[in-house]
Formats: sequence, structure tokens, C-alpha cells
Amino acid sequence: MTAAPFLALLLSPILAAAGALVLPPRWRTASVLHAGLGLISLLAALRFVALVLDGWTPTWGATVLFRVDALSALLAACVAFVAALAALLGPCLGPDDHYTPAQVRRFRVFSSLFAFTMLVAVTANNVGVMWIAIEATTIASAVIVPLTVTKASVEASWKYILIGSVGIALAFVGTVLGYFDFVTLVGQREYALNWTVLLANAPVLHPPVIQLAFVFLLIGYGTKAGLAPMHTWLPDAHSEAPSALSAMMSGVLLAVALYAIVRWKAVVTAAVGHQFPNRLLIGLGLLSLAIAALSLVIQRQYKRLLAYSSIEHTGLMCLGLALGPLGVFASMLHLVNHTLAKSMMFFVSGRILDRYGSPEIGRVSGLLRVMPWTGGLFAAGMIALLGLPPFGMFLSKFALVRAGFADGKGWLMAAVLALLAVAFVSLLAHLNRMLYGPAPAGIRRGESGGWAVVPLVACATMLVGLGIAVPAPITELLGRIVEIAGR
Amino acid sequence: MSPELVSQLSVGGSTLVLLAGLAMLWRRGVRAHIGAFTAQSVALAATTAMVGWFTGDWQLWAVAALLLLIKGVGIPILLERMARRFGTERELEPYVNTATSLLVGGLLVLLAYLVTAPLVSVSQLPTRTGMPLAMGLVFVSLFVIISRKKALTQVLGFLMLENAVALLAVLGTHGIPIIVEIGVFLDVALGFIVMQVFVYQIHETFESIDVEQLNRLRE
Amino acid sequence: MSPWLLGPVQAALALLLAPGLVGAIRWMKARLQNRSGAPPWQPYLELRKLFAKEVVVSNNASWLFRAAPFIVFGSTVAVTLLVPLLAVPLPFDGAGDLLVVVYLLLLGTFFLALAGLDPGSPFGGMGASREMTVAALAEPTMALAIFALAWSAGSTNLGHIAARVLATPTEALAPGHVLAFAAIFVVTLAETGRLPVDNPATHLELTMIHEAMVLEYSGRYLALIEWAAALKLLVFFTLLGNLFAPWGIAAALTPGALLWAVLTLVLKLLALGGVVALVETHIAKLRLFRVPELLSASFILALLAVTASFLLR
Repeated sequence: MTAAPFLALLLSPILAAAGALVLPPRWRTASVLHAGLGLISLLAALRFVALVLDGWTPTWGATVLFRVDALSALLAACVAFVAALAALLGPCLGPDDHYTPAQVRRFRVFSSLFAFTMLVAVTANNVGVMWIAIEATTIASAVIVPLTVTKASVEASWKYILIGSVGIALAFVGTVLGYFDFVTLVGQREYALNWTVLLANAPVLHPPVIQLAFVFLLIGYGTKAGLAPMHTWLPDAHSEAPSALSAMMSGVLLAVALYAIVRWKAVVTAAVGHQFPNRLLIGLGLLSLAIAALSLVIQRQYKRLLAYSSIEHTGLMCLGLALGPLGVFASMLHLVNHTLAKSMMFFVSGRILDRYGSPEIGRVSGLLRVMPWTGGLFAAGMIALLGLPPFGMFLSKFALVRAGFADGKGWLMAAVLALLAVAFVSLLAHLNRMLYGPAPAGIRRGESGGWAVVPLVACATMLVGLGIAVPAPITELLGRIVEIAGR
Repeated sequence: MSPELVSQLSVGGSTLVLLAGLAMLWRRGVRAHIGAFTAQSVALAATTAMVGWFTGDWQLWAVAALLLLIKGVGIPILLERMARRFGTERELEPYVNTATSLLVGGLLVLLAYLVTAPLVSVSQLPTRTGMPLAMGLVFVSLFVIISRKKALTQVLGFLMLENAVALLAVLGTHGIPIIVEIGVFLDVALGFIVMQVFVYQIHETFESIDVEQLNRLRE
Repeated sequence: MSPWLLGPVQAALALLLAPGLVGAIRWMKARLQNRSGAPPWQPYLELRKLFAKEVVVSNNASWLFRAAPFIVFGSTVAVTLLVPLLAVPLPFDGAGDLLVVVYLLLLGTFFLALAGLDPGSPFGGMGASREMTVAALAEPTMALAIFALAWSAGSTNLGHIAARVLATPTEALAPGHVLAFAAIFVVTLAETGRLPVDNPATHLELTMIHEAMVLEYSGRYLALIEWAAALKLLVFFTLLGNLFAPWGIAAALTPGALLWAVLTLVLKLLALGGVVALVETHIAKLRLFRVPELLSASFILALLAVTASFLLR
């Protein structure tokens, strides 16, 4: 019974990659097949969510290689959703797109592999396999960052792969140290790298060793998550990559890296208590928030703006993890909201880039007049990212701040609110400049490829839905996650 | 093989590996760097084989063979090919000059001793004596990546970092489960190949592999 | 034989062998370079010639210029009393250990540098400043390498260090020892003015370090300085040979053991001389600003030696 959902989830992206490799990109069926397989993956992920809500914990593999609990299910659903969107709205050979068939094929193959590696990362029970998958995500995504080869994109992809790989290597040091700790207690075991085993044995692990391991892990996976001061690759990579890839990277790759941190935090908390990891998380989270908020003021390109916004939100999520159970709840809710909002925003910005031909904020004006639906979605997404009602981010940010006060960290929340205010003002200013004003001369008006707007409108609607009242299944899921993540 | 001998050999092997890493800070020129990396990989393979002999674990022998094949032979061949394309560009004076780099390297090794003190005291394995040197190599590799100006040297720094972690794993835990080991190898090999493609791309787009040219994306 | 006689005997032996060592290295280098070269006893003939020659002293020189050769010679001979050339333990062990040896040698270097500055010639000043740069960088390395050896032996006393390696032969191949050997080897090349730091056979003043300092000397002063330089080389080689591979050193003062000690000493000196000759033939002289890089590298080797000995305690 349990093998089928795993196969559907993990095999679909592989088949999609194979299909994209073999079939000519110009064929209609190729696009349909690609999108369809993405949808199958999404359905499998939703099936996992249903199974978990029913109380099951599906596993697969000889030494329990794959295991899906609430946290895995939630993230798998997020990943599959954004991957399906990317399959649907990614580079294709439509009238507005300017990609060659070779580029489209390369994108489809590697983005499917990218989705596959992310799905393996969140469903693997083995810490080592998770590490391998996350390293593979760097490789798979780095190949398509320079889809159009320019000096800027080459520079961005080089920084991405170098900093990303170095970060992941440091995370591996942390993993080895964790394994080392276990081995010195119990001896070598095949299953020693399983989460369940590590968590069960956590109380007897040596504190200094596991603390050192956590430092390495936080720095390593934090690099992938975009936490400062290891974030320098993020604005470049996310702004130079094709929009669909940026959506996947900003929307879910950061979430997957955060997932790794959450898992390890649970182990470390069980071993040495919550003081040590919380302090580190607060430090990094606050630093990321500060750097991002202050950088937002001087941005001149809208995709870079969105990238820095991702850093800001990752910082917030990181902070939330350190604020007790309420904070974890808020943080995970924020994760879901951010995935929806950021991926939608990047797809929308892709449409803007295609129409206006320039990534500069100064060159884009009169958006509402030129492309009303796109402009509206852009505004909606930006307002969501600002944290205003009726969108979901408002609820999650509010919950986060409340958790902070409940945990006794009033001064910290004051700093957070001040930084959020800075971000608020700058984002709003940039938004106004883009939405209103006269449209540039000679620009084509009206929506192109109108059907592409539909999924994005659906995203916006979901955001509103999350903002009005969080649906019961999600609350249930988040509650389970709080238990998993430890205090 | 007595534990004392294993201890001595671990320290000896780790010292050779670390010295090859420090040679990256000392020598200029791409050929010297590639030679240092090759020597390091061979020393690492030898240390792994020695630990394999001591523990009687055939998997470690397999890992040593893979190390030798991939990192001792395969990757250096590809690196030589790259060096022939851009090797004529000598490493410019790096951000930190050589003498200071070496002293910083020494300080980093001392820092590694401090950092790994809890590890050495916790472990019972005779190979634990080499762990501080492996951690020292981690820090030295990070320093190489930060302070060098050629993309090729940065790639070599990354490969050395991977070597350092592999050494840490061998000395600290007598190897990691074989699936993970194979996965790590694949990752490193693929990562290297992609980096190689990127260095070629950088060369074509910028006419040099000087990382200082990559400064268009700021703020 | 009375132990107190051992000191002067060692000193006499060292004085006798030193010029021969320099000659042997020169001969080996010549053979490696496909020349016939001067015979190995040429330095003895040179010394005899110099002692017979007249001394010419610059008008600007002070008392230091005349005193320096004696100070240098004297300090180097004093060192030979403290170094385990033939036997362990030494009678003067109480008077000095490895640190005293190093600083006696440095005393000689110091005075030689002053003597280079004294007559006011430009080449002398240049040589003196270069020599001091090299010495300043080589001293920490030497000190650290000694520390590494002393740590594993438990004392800086030379006799104890040699005795310890004799007692546990596997110690000789300990990583700390090997690294310390490498570090002291580089320091030897630097302090005795060998390639790649300084070319002893050069006649171009701008490339000189040691030769530039003694450019103004002639006659018996020059003879003393050359002899002292050869003695310094012998001392360093003895340290390298008898501290790291002390087999052959006499434990008792019987004629048989002493003869054996002399034989093994000569063998070690020739072996090390051969290595130096090979190194000199293969490596080109480093440009002056690259010398700190070489010495930093040897410093790191010494640092690793200390930490390796520390680890294996």
C-alpha cells in the first residue's frame, strides 16, 4: 500500500526529466506530458498529507530509507505545488517567450531533476541521504541559472555554486560530527544516520560535540537557506535565473534548507536543551532580517527586491523557530504563506520582464494600465509580502510577534517590528513606482497568454483564504509539526 | 597492528594531507596546485586503506580505491586539461600575500586544535589523534577559497574541503555507511563537472578566469 | 678516558673535520655538475694560505672589526663543546642545552653583521641587513622545532633528547620528529648560507648575503671567519644527524665505542652533505623577497611538529 504514493511522488519528476530529454520540445504533447507529470507528483504529495492527517506515518525502504511525517508531508506538498506551477508556467515556446528549443529542453530536464532532489530531501529518513539530495539541488539548479548566458548570469551562477557547495560541505562536517557522536556511544550502525534513531538517542549524546555539530550545520544549511552572513549568493542567483527557476528556488529551496535546520534543531534540543540552538537561531535570524530590510531600500531591480524579501522572510522564519511552540507554529505557517506568495510573485515578475524587457524598477511604470491582471496580482503579492490583511502573511507575522512576547523577548520583537517597518516602507515605495505612472511608449498592452494568469489568481485566492481563516487540516498538520520540532 | 602504531600513522597521514593543503597557500601556479591536490588525494586514500586494514572493513578498501580513482586520477586529468587552457595565467598576487597566508594557515590549525578538543577527549578510537589536523584542513581550505583570485584555485579549494571532510569521517568514525559514501562521491564528481563547465563559461564570457572581474552584481 | 677530556677532543675533532666537510660538499656539487672540481681537501690549503697572508684593515674600521673574527670563532668552538658529536652524556651538559647552542650561534651571526657594517662599505651593510632578515625569520622556527623535540624528550638538554631517541627507536619516525627535521633542515640551509637562500660560490656582490658581510676581511681574520662558517655547518649537520638518528653515539667512553662514533659521524656528515649538494644543484636561488615565504613555510612545519608531538603525548 505504502509504496505507491512514494513511487508516484518521486518517479514522476524522473519520468518528466527523461521525457523532456527525449521528446522534441516543440511538440505540444511534450508540454502536456511535462505538466501532467507535475500534477501527478502534486496529487501524490496531497495523498501523503491525507495519510498523515489520518494518523499514518508512511515509510519505505529496507533500512527505513524514506519516512513521511507531518513536517515531510507539508514540505512535500509545497515543493510539488511549486514544481507543478513551474512545469505549467515555465519557459515554453509561446509567442511572448524568447527561449530557444534547446534552452526549453535544458530547463525542463534540470528543473524536473531539481524537483526530484528536493522531494527526496524532505522525505528521506537518513540524514546522509538528505545531505546528498540537498547538495544535488545545488548542482541541478546551478546548471539552469545561466539559461541565457550573460556576464551577469555567469557571475551569479558561479557565486551560487561555489558558496552553495562550500556551505553544504560545512553541513556535511556537521553531519559527520553528529554521526561521530552517535558512533562513540553505540558503535557503527547502518541505521545510525536515521532521524528516528538520532532523536531517540539524543539525550545521551555528548553536549560539546553536538553543539559543535550544530554550529557547522547551521552555517552550512543556513547558507542554502539564505541566512546572513552567508547570503551573498542569493540576490544574484535569484535575480539572474529564469523566473520559473527563481520561483522554485525562492519559494521552496529555502524552505527545504530550513527543513533540514528544523530536523537537526529537534535532535540538538533533545540533547542539550533549547537555550543553545535558540540563541544561535535568533542571532542569525535577526542579522538576516536587518541586512535584508536595510538592503531593500536601495534596490533598483524588482527581481533583486524579491530576492532580498526572501532573505527577510527566511530570517523571520528562523527567528520564529527559536520562540517556543507558538513560534514554531507561526514559523511553519509563515513558510506555507511565503511559498505561495513568493512563487506567485516571481512568476508575475517573469511576465513583467517579458513585456517590459528590463529588470529595472525605474523602467517599469504604469503596470496597472499595461497589464491589468498581472499588475493586480503583483500588487496583491506585494501587499501579501508586506504582511497586510487580508492575506495570510498577516496572520503568521502576528502569530510570530505574539509568540515572541509570550516567550519574554519583548526587546527582540521591538527590533523585529522596527525592521519590518523599514521593509514595509521601501517595498511600498517601489510598488507605487511600478504600478502607477505613465506607461513607456510603444509597449504592447493587454495580457498575453491569458490562461497563464489563472493558476496565479488561484495562488492569490489561496493566500486570501489562509488570511481569513487557516483551514483545519493545516492547523492540525502544523500542530503535529510543533511536536516534532521540539520546544 | 597495534593501536599506537595506528595512532602514529593516522597523525602521519593527516599531516601529509594538511601539508598538501598548506602547499596551496605557498606555491603559486596552477600546476603546483594540481600537484598538491593529487598528492593530498593519494595520501587520503593511503590513510583510508590503513584504517581499513586496521579495522578489517572491506568497505574502507573500496572507498580508498574510489578515492584514488576519482580524486587521485580522474579529477586531476580533467584539471590538467583545464590548466592547459588557462594555466598560462599565473595566480596573481592573492588578496593576502604568501607569508601572511602561511602564518594565518598556522593559526587556523591551532584554532582547529581548540575546536576539536572535545571530540578527541570523547572518542576512544586510536585514529582520533589525526582529527584536529583534518579540521585544520577544513579551515585552511575555506581560507584558500576566500583569499584566492582565480576561479580554478577556488575549485581546488572546494575539492580540498571535501577531502578534509572525508578524512574527518575516516578518522572519527572509521567511515560512514556505504550508501552515503557513494552518494557523496557522486555529488562531488558531479559538482566538480558542473564547476568545470562554469569555469569554461567564465573564460568565454570574461576572457579570463580572474574572479575580481565578477563584480557587476553589487549591493 | 676521563669525561672532562671529551670536550676538548670533540672540539679538536670538529675543527679538523669542518673544512673537509665544506670541501666534500663542493666536490660532490662539482661531480654532479659534470666538472672534476677541486679536491676535497682544498679548504685546508686555503686556510693555510690565508693564515700566511697579510691583513689589510680599512681606516674606518674600529676595534669591533678586529675583535669580531675571534668572537665568532670562539662562540662556534664553544658550541662544539655542547653538541653531542661523539658521546652522550656530555661533561658540559650542566652548562648549556639546546637553547644555549642556538643563541651562541646567533651571537656569532650578530657580531658578524656588526662587523659587516663597521668599515662603512655599502656591500657590507647590505649583506648585514639581509643576514639579519634571514636570521630573524629563522630563529622562531628553530626555537619551535627545538620545543617540539624537547616536548617529546621532556628536556631541552641535548644529551637527553638523543638518549630518548636511542631508547625508543620508533620515536625517530614519529610525525613530530620528521616535521621538526624538515624544519631544521630548511633553517640549516638559511643559517649556513646555502642555496636556495644564499649562494656560497657566487662572486656577484648583489646576490651575496654571507659573503658580502666578510668582503672587507683578509688574511688570518678571513681564515678564522671561514673556519667558523665551516664549523657552523658541521654543528648544524651534527644536530640534524645525532638528534634525529643518534645510532652510533658512544654511551661509554671506551676507545672502541669512540672510534665507532667517529666513523658514524663522518658517514652522517657525508650523507647530509650529499643531500645538500643535490639540493643545491637542483634548486635555483630564491629572490630575496621570496625567502620569507620559504621561512614561513618552515615555521609552519615547526608549528605542526609541536602540535603533532603534543597530540601523541
